[in-house]
Amino acid sequence: MEMQLTLSPAADALTVTLAGELDSLSAPKLYDQLSQTLKQHPAIKKITFDCQNLSYISSAGAGILLLSLDNFGHRGVDFELRHVRPEVYNILDLLGLTKVMSVSND
Amino acid sequence: MTKYALDFSATPDNLPIIRHFVQEHLAPHVSDPVRRNQLTVAVEELCANSIIHGNHSDPAQKLRLELRIQGQQLHIYLYDPAPPYALHKYPMPPQLLRKDTNRPGGLGIYLIRQLMDKIIVRRRGEKSIYHLVKNLT
Repeated sequence: MEMQLTLSPAADALTVTLAGELDSLSAPKLYDQLSQTLKQHPAIKKITFDCQNLSYISSAGAGILLLSLDNFGHRGVDFELRHVRPEVYNILDLLGLTKVMSVSND
Repeated sequence: MTKYALDFSATPDNLPIIRHFVQEHLAPHVSDPVRRNQLTVAVEELCANSIIHGNHSDPAQKLRLELRIQGQQLHIYLYDPAPPYALHKYPMPPQLLRKDTNRPGGLGIYLIRQLMDKIIVRRRGEKSIYHLVKNLT
């Protein structure tokens, strides 16, 4: 299933709704849209990823989250992944992402 | 023994086809969705490395993936025309961000090594053979 991506900026926060599969084909699109939105909304200080309908993540998908955290975190942007399914959480945990960003199934 | 095979060309566009092939054929053998996903991820990472790094996403290069269920073991075979890489010798754990490129690196290989019980890499004739084993018990 191709990834569906919705970005909803509001004041100093951005909600990113991810649905489908985040892999090497879709990950660059996520990064490009994040970069573009943060450029247009420089006041954003928190990004919340709603992962309720994210069914799959590969190392390329996890890598783009890390790269985003590294690049945008320097600007003081905080990252949070919510409603993460057990399959996706397991892969993020194996890669150590749960230690460097907030990841929860809440 | 139950065997499933998929022939594909070395283009990243085939990665969704590969993982859906794995998910579909492992479903009757691996009931736990987290475990089935781990195996799917391991196979996709293996194939992605061969497609992107080994064969430079050249669709003229042809690969073959086989899943074999033997008793309580899953054997994954990837037949690849590109020279073999030392999948089992990469440093562990990976740097989340590589110091030289400041980009994530080695995450896929790390996952394969974390998720599989045994990895054998060899060259036979004109094919590199990656053989991954996972106990399903």
